[in-house]
Amino acid sequence: MDAAARAFGRLLEALALAGCAVILAMTLMICADVLLRNVRIVPGVYGLAWANEISEAMLYLVTLLTAPWLLRQGQHIRVDILLRAVPSRLGWVFEWIADALGFACCVAIACFGVVATMKSYESGALSIKTLVTPEWWMQAPLPVAFLLLSVEMAFRMRRLYLGERAPRDDAVSTG
Amino acid sequence: MSWELAAWLMLGGSTVLLFLGLPVAFSFLVINLVGAWLFLGGEAGLTQIVRNSVVSVASFSLTPIPLFVLMGEVLFHTGLAVKVIDGVERLIRQVPGRLAVVAVVAGTVFSAISGSTIATTAMLGSLMLPVMLSRGYHPTMATGPLMAIGAVDMLIPPSALTVLLGSLSGISISKLLIGGVLPGLILSVAFILYIVARVKMNPRLAPASAFVEYEGWEKLRPFFQYVLPLVSIFVVVVASMSAGWATPTESAAIGALFTMVLALAYRALSFGNLLKALRGTAGISGMILFIIVGATTFSQILSFSGASNGLVEIIAGLGLPPGAVIIAMMLLLVFLGLFVEQVSMMMITLPIYMPLVQKYGVDPVWFGVMFLICMQLGLLLPPHGLLLMTMKGVSPPEVRMGHIFRAVVPYIAMSLLLLLLVFFVPAVAVWLPKVLV
Repeated sequence: MDAAARAFGRLLEALALAGCAVILAMTLMICADVLLRNVRIVPGVYGLAWANEISEAMLYLVTLLTAPWLLRQGQHIRVDILLRAVPSRLGWVFEWIADALGFACCVAIACFGVVATMKSYESGALSIKTLVTPEWWMQAPLPVAFLLLSVEMAFRMRRLYLGERAPRDDAVSTG
Repeated sequence: MSWELAAWLMLGGSTVLLFLGLPVAFSFLVINLVGAWLFLGGEAGLTQIVRNSVVSVASFSLTPIPLFVLMGEVLFHTGLAVKVIDGVERLIRQVPGRLAVVAVVAGTVFSAISGSTIATTAMLGSLMLPVMLSRGYHPTMATGPLMAIGAVDMLIPPSALTVLLGSLSGISISKLLIGGVLPGLILSVAFILYIVARVKMNPRLAPASAFVEYEGWEKLRPFFQYVLPLVSIFVVVVASMSAGWATPTESAAIGALFTMVLALAYRALSFGNLLKALRGTAGISGMILFIIVGATTFSQILSFSGASNGLVEIIAGLGLPPGAVIIAMMLLLVFLGLFVEQVSMMMITLPIYMPLVQKYGVDPVWFGVMFLICMQLGLLLPPHGLLLMTMKGVSPPEVRMGHIFRAVVPYIAMSLLLLLLVFFVPAVAVWLPKVLV
């Protein structure tokens, strides 16, 4: 099980790295759009009309690529004032309740994500903006991300079971 | 189901989950599932929240969040931020509490080129605190200015949290960003005046010590070599926005790229520290964006259930003047700041606050700037203010939590006075946006 947890951790690291690449690509693409719009360096090209739409999709991808990794890192912020105020053992019980709810929520969203994506695929719904794309292209990554979150929630509960009978030291602030 | 019950379920339920320790984003997602089942038509509602989740973050107006954070992370990991302190220190002559004054000025400059309060406080704390303590500064005089100026970072653009506030509330992001400049500068000046006056009254708080007084070009060299070029990042962001070349979102991208180009020009940018900066950016912005996935749908369900409207009608029915309602809203924000962090403050209050702002015809930029000041206060309020913890994290053991709590009190008082100033003189917040945007 430890090996599986480590391997899954490496997968989450790789996804987070992909998220980093997306942020860098988004920065460069938006700058290229502004440059081409304000300075006529390429004859006949007045900006990248699709840049806004692609950067929106990139932002969405960054969110989904990093979410499971952040859960592994304990970086999804939370309020721990009550967990610290009650006896450690009770705080640990609260952690269990929170994890169970989180796990159920991720599984439910993954399932309904599949349903929504399948419905969109079957209906042939299109997203018509500057680019015309099948709607399910944007919906499909969501159930995958929530499936990964569900698996990480399960590993998180395992760590809670194996660890000290006290609340975790997860992040509590944004920065 | 009545709107009262819906309000209890949505607002009360999410609060209970937050205090149970469920991460903020998941607290909203859990309540959204329940709310969608009850108010959006069962299974159809649950499918709908999946579609809403996609739309919530695929929004161009949110793009500055990772870009502003990236600017601060690049400056932090390349070590260029440190040069700002050196450049500022050489310019400041002997004044009472000189090092504390240097920290405030350097912090203000760094605020203008970084979008992260933690980066500013951690950087100033780890570099300046040991020096101040070794020169006999009292822990309260050493830590107070560092935490206070870290909080000001949130008011002075670029600021990722300001973009988030603008995006969630529908207030113009560019006006909000520029609206924070003057209140931020007022606070910085007030901090300096307080430090000088306090040390004059009690010189033992910050004993005067010898320092190398540079002359001629050597005095100005780091300023021209580092501070001025780095401040040009701020100029590029604000100028491209106000000149109409770029939208606020695009100006953030230009600022981020310009920061990387400057770091490259200083030969400070390596693949290793770029990767560190990108990882830091992905971490902070991914976390904020994931909260938005849950919180946007939360606001929609709250509104659809009739709870938002019901609460707004009750408050409006009290017949209070708009000023009293605004004061009540700000007091609630300050109170929330004692327990919850900034993103949660926005998520909990904005679905109710913004309809009230519209109903009473309040200037949204004025309201938004006061909201920012309250959030900035939240960073400093004991017992859970983020910057208090950050400062403790970079302090040596002899600086106790009691020192940190005491140190921050005068700066909290000054922030409250600023809030009153903006309340009674709205021009402090809205004049600059009117001129520039």
